[in-house]
Order: sequence, then C-alpha cells, then structure tokens
Amino acid sequence: MGRAITFRSVAEMPPLAISLDDISHNKTGSWRYLRPVYRNKIPPCRAGCPAGNDIPRWLALVAEGRLTEAWKTIRENNPFPGITGRVCAHPCEAYCNRKEFDEPIAIAALERHVADEAFALHDEPPSGERRREKIAIVGSGPAGLSCAYFLAKQNYPVTIYEAESQPGGMLRLGIPSYRLPRDVIDKEIDDIVRLGVEIKTGYRVGRDIDLERLWASYDALFIATGAYRSRPLGIPGEELPGVLAGLDVLKAINTGRKISLGERVLVIGGGNTAMDAARTALRLGARVTVIYRRTRAEMPAIPEEIAQAEAEGVEFLFLAAPQKIERVHGRLRVHLIRMQLGEPDKSGRRRPVPLPNSEFVLEADALLKAIGEDPDLDFLAEELETSEGIVIHNERGRLSRAGIFLGGDARTGPSTVVEAIADGKAASKAIQRYLRSPSRTASALLPERFAPEKIKLNTSYFAHQARVPVLELPPEERQHGFAEVKAPLWLEDAIVEAQRCFSCGVCNACDNCRVFCPDVAISRVNGLYHVNLEYCKGCGICAAECPRGCIDLIEEGR
Amino acid sequence: MNRANFVLPEIELMSSGHLGCQGCGGALAMRYVLKALGEKTVIVLPACCWTIIAGPFPYSTLKVPVLHTAFETAAVAASGVRAALDIQGDTETTVVAWAGDGGTVDIGLQSLSGAAERNENILYICYDNEAYMNTGIQRSGATPRFAWTTTTPEKNPKAERKKDIVAIMAAHRIPYTATATIAYPDDLIRKVQKAKSLQGMKFLHILAPCPPGWRIASEDAIKIARLAVQARVFPLYEIEDGERYTLNAPHEREIIPAEEYFKLQGRFAHLGPQEREQMQQEIERNWARLQRLVQMKAPSDDGA
Amino acid sequence: MAIRTQSLHPHPSPLPTREREQSYSKVITGNHAVSYGALLARVQVISAYPITPQTQVVELLSEFCANGTLHAKFIKVESEHSAMAALIGAASAGARAFTATSAHGLALMHEMLHWAAGARLPIVMANINRAMGPPWSVWTDQNDSLSQRDTGWMQIYCESNQEVLDTVLQAYRVAERVSLPAMLVLDAFVLSHTAEAVEIPSQSLVDQYLPPYRAGYKLDVSDPHAFGGLAPPDVYMELRYQIQKAHEAALGEFARADEEFERLFGRRYGLIESYYADDAELIVVTSGTVTSTARDVIDELRAEGHRVGLLKIRLFRPFPIELVRQALMPAKKIAVIDRNIGFGVGGIFAQEIKSALYNAPVRPALFGFVAGLGGRDITPEVLREIVDYAETHQEPEDLIWVGVKT
Repeated sequence: MGRAITFRSVAEMPPLAISLDDISHNKTGSWRYLRPVYRNKIPPCRAGCPAGNDIPRWLALVAEGRLTEAWKTIRENNPFPGITGRVCAHPCEAYCNRKEFDEPIAIAALERHVADEAFALHDEPPSGERRREKIAIVGSGPAGLSCAYFLAKQNYPVTIYEAESQPGGMLRLGIPSYRLPRDVIDKEIDDIVRLGVEIKTGYRVGRDIDLERLWASYDALFIATGAYRSRPLGIPGEELPGVLAGLDVLKAINTGRKISLGERVLVIGGGNTAMDAARTALRLGARVTVIYRRTRAEMPAIPEEIAQAEAEGVEFLFLAAPQKIERVHGRLRVHLIRMQLGEPDKSGRRRPVPLPNSEFVLEADALLKAIGEDPDLDFLAEELETSEGIVIHNERGRLSRAGIFLGGDARTGPSTVVEAIADGKAASKAIQRYLRSPSRTASALLPERFAPEKIKLNTSYFAHQARVPVLELPPEERQHGFAEVKAPLWLEDAIVEAQRCFSCGVCNACDNCRVFCPDVAISRVNGLYHVNLEYCKGCGICAAECPRGCIDLIEEGR
Repeated sequence: MNRANFVLPEIELMSSGHLGCQGCGGALAMRYVLKALGEKTVIVLPACCWTIIAGPFPYSTLKVPVLHTAFETAAVAASGVRAALDIQGDTETTVVAWAGDGGTVDIGLQSLSGAAERNENILYICYDNEAYMNTGIQRSGATPRFAWTTTTPEKNPKAERKKDIVAIMAAHRIPYTATATIAYPDDLIRKVQKAKSLQGMKFLHILAPCPPGWRIASEDAIKIARLAVQARVFPLYEIEDGERYTLNAPHEREIIPAEEYFKLQGRFAHLGPQEREQMQQEIERNWARLQRLVQMKAPSDDGA
Repeated sequence: MAIRTQSLHPHPSPLPTREREQSYSKVITGNHAVSYGALLARVQVISAYPITPQTQVVELLSEFCANGTLHAKFIKVESEHSAMAALIGAASAGARAFTATSAHGLALMHEMLHWAAGARLPIVMANINRAMGPPWSVWTDQNDSLSQRDTGWMQIYCESNQEVLDTVLQAYRVAERVSLPAMLVLDAFVLSHTAEAVEIPSQSLVDQYLPPYRAGYKLDVSDPHAFGGLAPPDVYMELRYQIQKAHEAALGEFARADEEFERLFGRRYGLIESYYADDAELIVVTSGTVTSTARDVIDELRAEGHRVGLLKIRLFRPFPIELVRQALMPAKKIAVIDRNIGFGVGGIFAQEIKSALYNAPVRPALFGFVAGLGGRDITPEVLREIVDYAETHQEPEDLIWVGVKT
C-alpha cells in the first residue's frame, strides 16, 4: 500500500520531480456509483430440472475429465444418473441457452456417460450416528427410492416395503430394457442399499402388511405406490380376450414372462406407455400401429421415443379413436372414427371431437390400451377425494393424518421419472421437518423448483460448435431384441461436449473479470474473485464481459 | 475449474489508484503491455492522458521506470534512453515510447519517423483513443471521419479520414508493425512479446477506447473495441519488415456491419444514412486494400 | 605534466598511450576544441543535427566515434529539438550527454532546454553564437544564446580555443555537481573556424579532474521511479526554488572547479576576469572574443594615459552578481559592449549589470553599447570609439548603437 506523502519543507523534497511511492494511497473507490457483486444464478437447465440437478457444476467437472467428482455432484440432487441419463425426458436440454446459439448441450448423454464411468463406484455410507427415528416407505419406485436415499444420507434408518419380488417399481416394470438395461437399475438401487436402506420385497401393504401396523412401528411413512391402474377405454368390447393393458404387457415382458401378441397389434394412446408398448410389441414380431386421437404435436410421449419408434417401423394413425371392439373368427375388429381438433381443453391442448360419418374398421390380433394410469390407493384408510387420479384435497402431499406422506405417481398421477425423484426428495425434506416438529403443518411436501433467473450472457466468448451426436443401434438391429438402443459417448466426445456448456449464471473462474479490470481491482483467491472496493471505480466492464452473467452491478448506497 | 478465455502473465506492474477514467482503454492497454514486458522495461511518456494517469509527483502508477517528456519527443527520448542503456551495457531492458494518437500521428510524427528511419531498438506504442482526450476531446489526425469532437462539432464533424499511421510506419520498413486492441488481450500480449524479441524499431498501434470521449458507457469499453475489429474498422494485423502482412482478425465469420460499431457511440450519433453508407464503403475499401496486402507476395529474401 | 592515476572509467580509454598520458599541443579550430573537450570528457551519448557554424564539432565527434577513439553512442537525429530530447532521455538513464548547436537550432531546442534544466540533467552543450534570422545570417552575435537566458541553463562565454576546450571539462564538472545543464558559448567563425594552438590535456589527467558521471537519480529497472510527473501547486514552487539554489551553489562550484583546474592543468579563467580594473575610472565590460581585442586596446590606451580597465564576463548564468559589483563599484563609469539586442530595451549584458548594481551601495554611470551584430567586426577602432564616447560623456546612456550607418 502506498503512502500519502506530505512535504513539510523543501529540505524533505527530492531535487527533482521523482516518484517516491506508488499511487495506491489514492482510493479511487470513492469515484464509484455502481458496485460489481458476484452472484451466481440459477441456470435455466437447473430451473428446468424437477430434481434441481446442478448441471453446470458437474458439466464443468466433466469438461476437465473429473468424472468421479461429477458423479458425486449429480448425486447431491439425483441418486440415479444412470437411469435419468437414459430415460429422463431431460427438460434441461429444452431450456439450455445454447439452443439459441447452436444446439443444446447433450446433458442426458453426458449424465449417462458419468454414470457409466462411475459404474464401479459407490457412495461412502454416511458418517455419524444413526438417528433414532425410523421411516417406512411403501413402494420402491423412483419416488420411494429417492426419498430413502436422501433420508439415508441424513442417517435415518429407512425400510422400504415393495409388493413385487424385485425393487424398482415402474423403472423395472414399465420401462423396457432396450431403453434401460436391468444392470443399471440394479446398480443404482444397490447404491441405496449400501447406504443402509432395507428393502423388503413381496410386501403389499393392505395384503401382506397392514398400514396401521406400519404406522405403529415407524415414526413417519412415505407412500409412493405409483400409478398402475390402467384407465379403461370405456367402449364396448373392452373386456374381450386380446384387449390388454399396455402396462400389463410391459410388466409381463419386463419380469421375463413369455407372451404372444400375434402378428398385428394396435396400440391406443400417445404417451410413453404407448410408445414402450408399441416398441415392445414390435420386438415380439408384430406389425404395430399406434392410434392417437390428436396429432403428433400433441403426443405427450418424449419426442425422441416417438422418433425411435417410427424409425423402428411402428406406424402411426393420428386423429382417430376406437368406438367399439368386436371379436370375429379369433381376431379383433376395431371400429374407429376420425377425429378433428376443436376448442382447447383444460390442458391447453385442442380437444379432439369426432368427425361425423367417418367410421372405419381395423383388424388386429391384439389391442393394447395405453391412455393413462391412475394410482390405486384403496389400501389407505382415509377416504381420498380424487380427480383423474390426482389427490386434490391433499394437494400438498400431506395426508390428513400427520406423519404419512404421499408422493410420486401415487400423488401426481403418471409422470416422469425425474418428477418422481423430485417428489421423493421433497418428501425426505418434509419428513425431516415433520420429525423435528411433528405438530407443525409446515411439513407439507413441497417439491422444490428453482425459479429461473434473468441471466445476461456475453456470447462473444463462445465459439460455435456442433452438439456431439448420440449414436443409436440401427433400427433393423433393434427389431429383433431388447439390446440398448442408445450408444454411450466416448470420453473425448464427452469432454468436448461438456466444454460447450456456457455455465449460465455460474462462475467457472474464466478470469475475464480480472483480465479486463482497468483498475487492477479484482483478484482471484481459490477460484473465487474478490473486488477491491477501495479501488474499483465501478466502470462495469467486469459485469459486461462476464460471459455467463455472474456479476451484477448494484447502485452504491442502496 | 479454470476454463480461461485468456491466460495472461500474472505479473502486475500497474498500481491501483491510478487516475484513468472509468473504463479507460489506455489504462488497460498499459496493464497488458507491462504484463508482456515485465520489470525490465522503461516507459517514456510524452504528453497524453497517461501523463495524468501515471500519477502526480511524488507518486507513480507504474512499477517500472517512467520518463515524462515533451509532447513531440517520445520516440527520440526513448532513443536517448536506449543509447544510454546500451553504452552502459544494458541491452536487455526494453525501452518503450508510449504515446497517444496526437503525440504519434500529429506532433510526434517527425521524431517517430526519425527513430524509425534510424531503426532505433525501441518499442513505440501508440494507444489510440482517436482524439486529444486529455485536453478535452479535440480532433486529431487519428480522429475518424464524421466523428464529433469539441473542435469538430456535430454541425461540422470531421471531414477528413483518419491518418493511416500503420501504413506510414510500414513504409519505413521497420522490422515489426502491428495493430492490437484491449478486447483481444492475448493477441496484444503476443504482439508485444514478439516485438520485444526483435531488434530494431517496433511499432504497435493499440486502439484504446475512451468512454467519455467516444460517448459510450464505461462498461462498453471492451465491447466497442471488439466491435471495431469485427466491423473491420480496426482490423488486427502484423507487418514484418514493412512488407509481409499477416491478418489476425476478424475472421470472415465474425464480420459485422459497421453500423453495429457506430450505433453504440454518441460521437457518431449525428450520422445520417448517407454518412453511414459512406463509412461502410470506406471500411470495405480499406478492407479490400488490406486483403491485397496480405496476399501480396513479399520479394524473396536474397540476403541483400 | 603527466600524472599517472587509476582511471575510474569502466571503459578504458582507446586513445594511444602518448595521448592518454601526455598533454600535447595542436593547432585546431574552436569547433574542434569543442570536439576534443567532449572526447576528453568521455561523453557517452551524443546527439546533434547539422547547422552552420556548428557542424564541424559533430563531424569530428562522428570521426571519433567511428574510429573508436570515443566509446559513445551518436544519435543522428532529425532536428535539434530531437537532439536535446534524446540527450534528456540519455542523461535520465545516467549517461554523460553532449550536443552542439547554433542559432535556429538552439531556438528550436527551447522547449527541451527548459525540460533539461527542470529535470536537473547535467547535459553540456556547445552553442556557436550565430545571429538569428530572418534575414538569414550565419555570422556571430549573442542573441541566440541570450534568448535562452531563463531556461535554467548555465552559460559560459569563451574567449579562446583553449578556453573552449577547458570549459567543456569545467562545465561537466560543475553541471554534474549541481545537477544543472551547462551551455558553453563561442563566437561563430571568430573562434569556431579559426585555428590556434591548443594544449590537449592528457586523458589520464582529465579523468582525474572529471570522474565518471554517477547520476543521483536515474532510470533504473532495479529501482524504478517516475521522472517529471505532474507537480501540483503545493510542490512546484519548491522544485523551482531548488533550481535557483543550485544556480547559487554553482557559483562556488565554478570557482572551485577553476581552482582545481589550475592545480591540474596550470590554467584558470575565473567567473569574471578583471584587467587593469582596480584603478580604472572607466571599465569596459565584454564577453566572448571581443575581450581579446579589448585587452590590446586597453594596453594601448593605458600607455596613452587613460585610466581604462576591462571586465570580462565569462559566467553569464548563474550571474556572479557579487563579483561583478565588487569589480565595477570602484569605477566612475562603465561601458558595456553587447553583441546582442534585447529588443525594446537594449543590450542584454547591460541590463544584467544594471540590475546587479541597482542594490549596490555605489552605482557607477553605465553606458550601454550595442555593436557587432550579425558578425560585423568589432575592431580596435570601434573599441576606441566606445571608450572615447564613454570618457567624453558625463550622463549615462542606456543604449548607444555603434557603427550604424545613419
């Protein structure tokens, strides 16, 4: 630090105008009326992820080849990177700012890459003493497992009761192995078991064990029994042989049972179950047509799934709905009618209405219903008011009886894996709040969603670069078996792809602020930046040149 | 987790507390140049903004020796320092003449030309803020056509084109001439280091935006320098021995209309569509000329 | 005369042994006397621009540099302004710096003369007195150097080629001790191009008289400072005060330098020189080569019975006020010969002497003569005319033009 120099007499002065110290006694911070403040923001990908996956943070680690750390970082918010890396609808990619610039980051493929690379890794069991309060979870689908994972990390003893003989719920029963190989499910459930979670399979609550007994033995319950009850079509002939629930077919195949559907299969519905059922039927040797009452644009299935189904040879018939099924000479005669789109309904999609005098008939060996599923909560003592399967009078997930929480598809109706994970995580927090203060109603289950923030990017520092392609098994090879469709990334590709991340709103120590400070007022300590307010003149260059909008300028004196 | 856009030498030879305005491009340019040159550097400073930025007696903004000298004498005073160091056995220290655009293209051109003709072993750096900024924004030979200054008011903006000092220096066939700007610090530092490694006269022309003088927000100082390059108002290039041209930027894919550059600056706010079109055409002519120079094959070195 | 001493100079003298160790006599012009002075002073950086009648100075120095006789850098600049700027750079970096110029060249340097003095740099320059244009003139008068009176430079007016050489050495010695630049002045052609026998002192003796320059402050990367930055009003005046104090100290330093010079070389010049002045009723005041002519005229007039004396002003800046007073107060009348004209007032030496005497207890009557402008000869007849005028007039006169064809 320079001194301020005062000459009291000429005798103290040098004979010529020569500097005796640097200028740093001059505190130019007093010139400033705008102050730069480092503030990381919630990037749109993270805001778009129900589980709140801290995507830029782990992408930065991947970019440096630090995959183990990346895996650990993902698992702070998501216990199943191997699963979500494969089957997540990845809304994160739809929100990715990079899509305006060239193409979004292949977040899902990178997540899978991280999980694949970490296949031999497992969490350390949590240190510290186990807590006394015991928690029971009913259902071992993604919601139940997620809740168990987050509680186990906090040293709670957790027991999961699973009706089926294997844990996993819809992950195992509903999702075909060509999308999600079984060893990935096994591995990621095993990771949770290793944390000390006990999974009791073959216990169906209401049949094998009474809810009241569970309630008596545990300090809190989380009910995550999913949504398995297929919705009826509500048309004549629905009970005929050959008319099956798509989900039942998936369950049968996924649990290793042999099943024959015949040569010609119709699938009714446009969601993910419909796609999975259709592609499974295709792999069993059938010619498959998906019939959907709206158009392709309104299909709720993940677009990628639709594209894959189409590539594999699944046919689509849009704007049609079944009206009646008959069985003639051992085959089904399905009477259909053309539809057209009318006024938007509650969901905002245009309501399909029948087009008069447009009836037609298709024949098939089997018809698979896949128009949605509802939760089956008959085992609950309480009477629940439901509407289209969604609990409404307990919309925040807390049943009228304190200490029992409801989540996952059982709460929301059929939804995505990541929503279930998010629900399980929210439930774990609600349970902890409840256990700390049982009387408080604040223990309601509140799925956390990060609010997206306005982020001013400076894209001058980013180079255009195409997204890494994710290779798929050729369609002709897919039709004859259940091998995984999507290929993994090479490490080099993964690193290059992760380096494409803008890291929106998340400082990654790129140094621009320090490099461009005309007043040498920014320093870096342990990867963090510090503004020396004694000298910062508030020019704002650091904020303007931050590629990722991590610096705000705030008015002094505010 | 450091994915830096720029990796610069850590050394800081410019002190905080200096008297440059908010967002001063000239201050930043000096910071980079000293990062490139290191401690064994002498700065010769004629009258210019840096006369003030460098600090009043008895203080100094720089942690290297500084010689203040008269407006028109940067190149020759540096020549004198060079001679004195050489005769005392110090051939290692880099002697830098650091002058503004007025001190370079106007009042200092004679001594600059003399030093270039003598091929003095100095590095002459012109930090160009395109007017006499220290005296309060008066037009210089480096002020661009149509720009407002206090001596070229809006109703009668500068009618003449900017003096092409780089061409003048190249005509001296000095070993190295280059342009640089603060938006591309890595390029700037590379050029300074290259200049340092060469014997003889080196000339570096640094575009150094002046927020008050250009009527821009201080936070846009880097942006405007970047736009100047991308709009080809100020291309980045190097000239070896006055005849081998290398273009550094902009690349074809980065090129933007000059309007993007002009519209951010208050000093061009009065430009009508005709003037804007004329400027665009002038930029394109200059660009075409530069392209020809880059493509020009230098005569083979026959050792003459 | 040869005194063997250990040279302090880091660079051994390239002179032949004889010239290094023994003085010798050589018939040379005043310009070459300057060059020899610079050679013996072992200047390290020279920078100059051609101008008549100075050019021979730097021609010979170029030879010395080219043939290795002088280990120095010669920067052949594109103007005198640049010459001085180059030397300011060089001296700031710790080198002994030298230039020579004349008339318009000196005028062009004007800004940098202020700079050199303000920066306290002991640069030495020879100025060959030449009249200023227009109209063009290459012949001698003092208006060029006297126009630089207030730049802070010391000024020494020389009378002979020997004095010229010796003054280069004395100038460096004093300049480096008081951190001020010094200008030695010699008349165009009368000295610059006129050859006479000059004793060239041995290098080893000069080395003893003039050790290598050790700057108190210099541009040094191992001890970085800024030189000459903006000085606010609360410090500027003190810096100017110190320059004046240095000039005052230079008076004593010149006297000591002259004594030491006499001890080593057997010659001394004084700051001023009185000739038959002790009992003179009329003292003629001169500077430069007029002095030599005046000496002869005084001898003749004394023989004729006139009580006439002579005062030669050698050191013009700093002006030796007290010595001038003591020398002039005994006289009844003073005739000041100015080879210059301060337009609107009169001769510049006359002004200086008047102001020196103003606060003196006794003030002789002063006659201010302006003569010999633009190289017109000041002959013994002209000097007799001046003496006659002063002797025959009782009332002092500020400005008397001598020899103007009216």
